[in-house]
Amino acid sequence: MKSKHSMPTTQAPDEPIVFRTLADMPPLPVSLGATLTSKTGSWRYIRPRYEDKTPPCNHACPAGNDVVHYIAALRDGHVEAAWHTLIAENPLPGVCGRVCPHPCESDCNRGEFGGAIAIRALERYLADEAAAHGWRPERAAARRPGRIAIVGSGPAGLSAAYHLARLGYEPTIYEAASQPGGLLRYGIPAYRLPKAVLDREIANIESLGVRLALGQRLGDDLSWQELAGMDAVFLALGQGVSRPLGVPGEGVPGVFAGLDFLRRVAQGEPVQLGRRVLVIGGGNTAMDAARTAARLGAEVTVVYRRTQAQMPAVAEEVAEARREGITFRFLATPLEVLGSSTRVRGLRCQEMRLGAPDASGRSQPEAVPGAELTLDADAVIVAVGQALDEAPLAGSSVAIQSGRIVAGAAAETAAAGVFAGGDAATGEGTVAQAVGSGKRAALAIDHYLRSGRLAGLPPLYGAAHATERTASQAIVGAEDLNADYIEVAPRPELEGWTPVSLHGDFGEVNPGLSDAAATREAERCISCGTCIACDTCLIFCPDVAIARAAGGRYTIAFDYCKGCGICAKECPRSAMRMEEEGQ
Amino acid sequence: MRKVIMGNHAVSYGVRLARAEVISAYPITPQTQIVEMLSEFCSDGSLNAKFIKVESEHSAMAAVVGASSVGARAFTATSSHGLLLMHEMLHWAAGARLPIVLANVNRAVGPGWNVWTDQSDSLAQRDTGFLQLYCESNQEALDTVIQAFKIAETVRLPVMVVLDAFILSHTEEPVDVPSQEQVDAFLPRYETEWRLDIEDPRAFNMLVAPEHYMEMRLQMQQAMAEAKGVVQTVDEEYAACFGRGYGLIEPYRTEGAETVLFSAGATSGTARVVVDELRGQGVNIGLLRLRLFRPFPVAELRRALAGVKKVGVIDRNISYGHEGIFASELKAALYGLPRAPQVFDFVVGLGGRDVTPATIHGIAGHVLSHDVPAEEPVWWEVKS
Repeated sequence: MKSKHSMPTTQAPDEPIVFRTLADMPPLPVSLGATLTSKTGSWRYIRPRYEDKTPPCNHACPAGNDVVHYIAALRDGHVEAAWHTLIAENPLPGVCGRVCPHPCESDCNRGEFGGAIAIRALERYLADEAAAHGWRPERAAARRPGRIAIVGSGPAGLSAAYHLARLGYEPTIYEAASQPGGLLRYGIPAYRLPKAVLDREIANIESLGVRLALGQRLGDDLSWQELAGMDAVFLALGQGVSRPLGVPGEGVPGVFAGLDFLRRVAQGEPVQLGRRVLVIGGGNTAMDAARTAARLGAEVTVVYRRTQAQMPAVAEEVAEARREGITFRFLATPLEVLGSSTRVRGLRCQEMRLGAPDASGRSQPEAVPGAELTLDADAVIVAVGQALDEAPLAGSSVAIQSGRIVAGAAAETAAAGVFAGGDAATGEGTVAQAVGSGKRAALAIDHYLRSGRLAGLPPLYGAAHATERTASQAIVGAEDLNADYIEVAPRPELEGWTPVSLHGDFGEVNPGLSDAAATREAERCISCGTCIACDTCLIFCPDVAIARAAGGRYTIAFDYCKGCGICAKECPRSAMRMEEEGQ
Repeated sequence: MRKVIMGNHAVSYGVRLARAEVISAYPITPQTQIVEMLSEFCSDGSLNAKFIKVESEHSAMAAVVGASSVGARAFTATSSHGLLLMHEMLHWAAGARLPIVLANVNRAVGPGWNVWTDQSDSLAQRDTGFLQLYCESNQEALDTVIQAFKIAETVRLPVMVVLDAFILSHTEEPVDVPSQEQVDAFLPRYETEWRLDIEDPRAFNMLVAPEHYMEMRLQMQQAMAEAKGVVQTVDEEYAACFGRGYGLIEPYRTEGAETVLFSAGATSGTARVVVDELRGQGVNIGLLRLRLFRPFPVAELRRALAGVKKVGVIDRNISYGHEGIFASELKAALYGLPRAPQVFDFVVGLGGRDVTPATIHGIAGHVLSHDVPAEEPVWWEVKS
C-alpha cells in the first residue's frame, strides 16, 4: 500500500522548524531538518570525561616503567619511540628484559583473557632492537651544577647515575671491582644475561656524561673525607656478602659461598667442583649457582628446606633448572658438612615438614623428630641469602639497622647529603627494585641540590617516575574492562630453547622474540585505562557529540552531550568516566 | 480452496496470503498455534519472511516495531498476559504510526489462572491507538487479517484482529482459503516513504515538545476517524473480490425489532440461533453484532438502533467498579438520541464459562420482561 503522505526530500536549515498548520506536520515524529537546534546538553547532570587510569602493569613495575605506553608505541610500529619511552624510566631494559621476575605480568589483566602479555620479552625486544640499530639515550639539554658521588655500580647506582645525568648532572660512580655492573656482572650468569648486553647499557649511561671510577673501594681506595667534598653522595653498595650456613664443617675445602662461586666463574677463574654438587637454598642465587655448576659438568642437586611452592626463585628459573637436569631435594636442611680437611664427602641433613604459616604467609618448616639423611657430595654451594658488607661504612655517620643502611622515603640517610638505596638499604632483592630505588634517590638528590633541603619533596607513591604521568592513580582491574571487545588470545610460547649440551656452554638460553612475534604480542595488549583513539566512544555517542581532535584525542560537544554515559560504559579499556556536573 | 481448519490456522493462512515479511512472537496459549504454523511456513519456504524469536511479548512487539519502521509488513500474535506485557509497545507502535497487524486470541486474565476466553485482555488496550476488529468465525478471522493489513497501511495505524479462545482458536470450521493471486491483486506490496533509510538518515520518534505534541495526537484521532471509512471501503473491496464482507456492525433480523441483543465475537453466532428461534415464536427481536470496536462506529450504531426500545448487551468482560465495557460504550454512543433505547447490561461468560443458547434465551427473556434496566449490570448465571 502506498502511503498518502510523503517525506520531504529537502533538508531544512539548522533552525527550529515550527509547523503552522496540522497539514504541514508529518504523521509521526521524524526529523525533517538537522537536529542541531535541539541542544540536548541541557538535559545533562553528569558528564563524560576522558581520564586515563593506571594499568596494573605500570602499577606493579618496581622500576616505574611506563609499560602501557611503550607497548602501545610498539604496536603502532614506532619501535624507536617505544624504546625511548622505556628508557625514560629504566636505563637497563636489556637487563630487566632478561632477569626481572616481572610482577607486571602477574598483575596483567590479559591474564583473564588468554594469558598475560609477555611484557618482559617485549622489554628485552626493544633493548635488543636498540642495540641492533645503535640507538642512544638523549643527553640532557642543559648541565646542572653539583658534584655527586655514587658508590657502587650495580643496578641502583647505575640507575641513579643515569637519571641524574638525564637531569643535567655529571655524577661519578665509584666501583670497587675492576669492571662495572656489580651483581649484574658477577652475580647473574652469562647464559641469562650476556655481558655484552650489560656493557652496552653501561656504555649508554656513560655516554650521558657519567664518569666511572673503577677499582675504588670505599674505605680502602676512597675515603669518607673525599666524599665529604661532594655536594651529594648516593650509597648503592648492594648485598655482596653471602650469608654462611652456620653448621659444622663449613670450612672444609669444597664448600663455596654462592656469590663467590658465581663471581669466580664470571671472572673466568678455574673452579674445581667434582662430580656431585649440592646447592643449598631456594632463591635465584641458588638457581644461578646450580645451573652454573651444571655447565661446569657437575651433577647438581638443590637442597631446600621447604617445597617448590615456597621457593623465592622466579618460577621460570626453577623450570629451566629442571629442564637442565638439576634435581631437587625438598624439605631438608643442612646439619653438618661431612668431609676431611681436604675434601667434602657429603651433607648430613635434617628432614623437615611444613608447619603453620609465618607472618609472610609462607609455611614455616619444622624438623621431623629423629629423621636425618645424608647426601653424598664432592662440593657444597651455599646460597641462603646475602648481606651488606658493612666495613666500608666504618667512620661514617650513616646508621645501620638489621644489616641495612637506614634510609627514608627520599632515600636520605642520617648523614647530611648522603643518600642510600638498592639492596644495601632496602633488601628488596631484584634488579627492577634497585632501578626504582636508584631513580628515587636521583629525584631526591636533584630536589636537594636545587633547594638545599629535603622538605617539599613531592610525596612518592609506588615506584618513582622520571616522567610526568597524566593517568589517574586509580588502577584498572579486569572487571573494569569491556570484555565484549576483548578476544581471548593465548600468550605465545616463549621458551623455545632446548638444552643440547650444557657443558661449558654459557650462551644465552632464551632466544627472545622475532619482529613478528613482538608485534603480535604488542597487539594483544589491551592498553588498560589508556585511550588509544579506538573511536568506540565516537561511534556509540547517540548525540554525535564526540569528534576526533589532534593528537589522537577527542572533543565532546557539551551543547549536545546529554550525559547518557554510553561512551564511558562502552569504552573497551576504561579510559573514560562520568562525573557530576560542576566537579 | 476450502479447508477445515481451526481459527488459529485461519489466521496463519491469512498472514501467509498477506505476504508478511517479518513475524515476531512469543508463545502463549491459546495463540501459539498461529505462530507455530507461520514458523513452519517460513521454514518450508512457502512464506518468505524473517521469523524473529524473542524472550517476551514486549520484545516481540518491539521487534515488529523495528521491522515496520524500515518498511516491512510485520505481524505478531498473542493473548492475555502476553498482550498486557506488550501494552507499552502497543502505544509505541501506534504513536510511531506503524501499520502492524496483531492477532489477539481473547483469553481471560489471571490470577486466578485461566486460559479460556473473555474480552478483558483486548478491551484493556482500548486507548492504545490500535484499531480493534472482533471476529465471529474462522472464515472471518482469515478474511479480517488480510483486510487488516490494507486498512493499517492506508491509515498508518496498527490493527488488532481479535478472536475467541478455543471457541474459534481451536475449533475447526470449513474455511475458504483464497488463492495467492487473488490476494496479491487485493493487497499490493507495502510501500512507504516514512521509513528508516540509511541512505537518508533521520531521527525517528524523538522528543516532541508541547507545541507540537497535541497536533500529533490530533492526527492520530483524525486517522482513526478516517479509518472508519477505510474499514468500510476495504470491506466492500474485499466483498467484491472474494464475495464476503462484514461491515463495521452487522445487524441481524433487526428490521422492525423492538428488542435487540448486542454482542461481539463468537457469542454472536450463538445469539443468531436464539434470535431465529425467538423470531420463530413471533418475538420481535434482532441481533446487532459489533465488529469494529476502535474506532467506535457511533453514527452507525445510532442509526441502527434508532427506534429500538431495548438493547441487551452481552458483555464478556467487566470494568471493575462500573459495568461491562460494551454497555458503557454503547450508552455513551446513544446519549442524546431522541427516544434512545434502554440498555440492559449482562456480564456473562467470564473466564470461558459457556454461553449457551439457553444462556442467551435467559438474557433475552430478562430484557423482554423488564421495562427498565437495573442500575448495576446483571451478573448472569453466577452462584449467589
